[in-house]
Amino acid sequence: MRSLFDRMLIDPFNRLAEQSAHIVPVLIIVLVTLIVGGFIAYVLRWLTFRLLHAARFDRLVQRTGFASMIERTGVFRSPSDVGARFVQALVWVFIVLFALNAADTPASVELVRRFVDYIPNLIAAGLVLLLGVVVSRMVSRSALLAAVNAQWPAARLIAGGVRVLVMTLAVVIALEQLHIGSLPLLVAFAIVFAGIVFALAIAFGLGARDMARQWLEAKVRSSVAEEEVFRHL
Amino acid sequence: MHNSNVEELFPSELKARLDQIGEAEIVVGIPSYNNAKTIGHVVRAVSVGLAKHFPARRSVIVNSDGGSKDSTQNVVMQAEGGADDLLLVSHSVHPSYRISTPYHGIPGKGSAFRTIFAVAQRLNAKACVVVDSDLRSITPGWIELLAQPVLEYGYDYIAPYYHRHKYDGTITNGIIYPMTRTLYGKSVRQPIGGEFGFSGKLAACYLDKDVWDTDVARFGIDIWMTVTAIAEGFRVGQAYLGAKIHDAKDPGADLTSMFRQVVGSFFNLMESYEQVWKNTTGFEKVPLFGFPFEVGVEPLTVNTDRMIHAAQQGVQDLREIYTSILSPQTLIDLTTYVHRNGKGFHIPDSLWVRMIYEAAKAYHYRTIDRDHLLQSLVPLYLGRTASFVLEVTDSTAPQVEDRIEQLCQVFEAEKPYLTQQWDAAGKEKLHAQPV
Repeated sequence: MRSLFDRMLIDPFNRLAEQSAHIVPVLIIVLVTLIVGGFIAYVLRWLTFRLLHAARFDRLVQRTGFASMIERTGVFRSPSDVGARFVQALVWVFIVLFALNAADTPASVELVRRFVDYIPNLIAAGLVLLLGVVVSRMVSRSALLAAVNAQWPAARLIAGGVRVLVMTLAVVIALEQLHIGSLPLLVAFAIVFAGIVFALAIAFGLGARDMARQWLEAKVRSSVAEEEVFRHL
Repeated sequence: MHNSNVEELFPSELKARLDQIGEAEIVVGIPSYNNAKTIGHVVRAVSVGLAKHFPARRSVIVNSDGGSKDSTQNVVMQAEGGADDLLLVSHSVHPSYRISTPYHGIPGKGSAFRTIFAVAQRLNAKACVVVDSDLRSITPGWIELLAQPVLEYGYDYIAPYYHRHKYDGTITNGIIYPMTRTLYGKSVRQPIGGEFGFSGKLAACYLDKDVWDTDVARFGIDIWMTVTAIAEGFRVGQAYLGAKIHDAKDPGADLTSMFRQVVGSFFNLMESYEQVWKNTTGFEKVPLFGFPFEVGVEPLTVNTDRMIHAAQQGVQDLREIYTSILSPQTLIDLTTYVHRNGKGFHIPDSLWVRMIYEAAKAYHYRTIDRDHLLQSLVPLYLGRTASFVLEVTDSTAPQVEDRIEQLCQVFEAEKPYLTQQWDAAGKEKLHAQPV
């Protein structure tokens, strides 16, 4: 007959030892994965930075205007730094997934599965945002040039408005891809957009009615007058 | 290869008509779009010109129409020939045939010309003449002046030479003429004049080029024809036509798109003929046919304040774009000069030339979107035009010509800067390729 001592002390200890024998190797694997992976991520970041720097990536980005945006954040040193840190972050994501998979617990396996299922949404959202940045930049520059060549005084304001509008639309679509408050966001966007248009229409129609009439008259008169007398070719 | 493609686009009625005509020595092309008010006069002048000056040659008048909704095509077909009711020394052996056909492709003057080139080739024409359909000052003599050097003296391309008001044709005077002369070495005074004479051989050369989906299909056609003729080594001349007076309204022509198409086409040609312009030094005068005489030109008024304001707003609002196109020193100079108001406003020749050369380089290396680049040049062009107008307000026509000559000399003096910028940017781009 087993003594009370065995049941109260030895058995729990044995169970603990048994569980530890199961868990410790897993923990060691996870720990080693994180340490080695972290080192690899750091090396890849360093290599990416060097490569981008050698390829004059910073100068290329400077021409697009993103460089000043990056500098303004105060977080990153340069566009090459952004690229290098992005690669590091990507590697870290894979390392963590690998480590969780190595843990092989029901919770970690489920977490990995859900994350992997979510990757297409993440990619889609990222692409939508990237496209939004490019399109908003192109469209706002087109609006700026059209407004300047039409000699509208608020050209930059118009261009800025166009940019914000396109980016907002991109963010709403990206969030919808991520299933983050998609419907409320879409409704909020529609309400805000309609509100802006409505407010502008009222402001223009009531507040600046005379100004609008005078401006349009002057515009039509001057353009007709100039077309009749002046040939550029 | 491209020739047959064009013929495939001929409507069946046009094919039948061309088969019926067979061959012609002279083809006169008139592009049109809603020109019912003026095209009748042009057709009559052309008919009389052909009857009077080329009575023994088979000729065809081709109206290439962009889908007019104002009965332009009917006016063309019904316009009186004029030859019968005018006293002519000689009478036509062959009456001129007349065709009015819609063209295929991008709506624009260039697409209309393409159809005319194809008709000329199909009819095996020796000479081809094109004239605008909104001309009020065209006379029968224009046809002789544009076609005769081709038919009788072996020229391949005849550009027009007009007297114009000193404020008129500012894209020509400020950019296109000086640059054509500097880069390609031929002093063609009106390279984008609109009326041209050319040989059948040159028409075939034009048809062979794959440019009909570009701005050449629109307003870029004139400069493209001129530069192609010069750069491909064709024999080039000019014909003195007196004064050019158009209809007041040019359909579909607003400054930004016109400027974009003409200057964009010129910059594109700089890529096509890079070796030609890099190897060209100096320039030679181009022979002038016809007898130059003094003509009165219509008075013009220009709103310089509006242009100055456009330039100042451009420099203020488009700074980010100019930073990527212009060199830092040019941008500093531009900012300094552009903010002077009234009669003190002035953009010096050297600054203007540097801006154009740097823009050409930026266009070539696609520093920013090409369309945006060209649009961003419009305020600068307006500023330069205002500066020029203010400068020549009290000048006579010969003095203005001297002033344009001075500008040409600055373009020529600064050409090494263009070559150096072009090559330096090329090397920089090469080094910036990702490894």
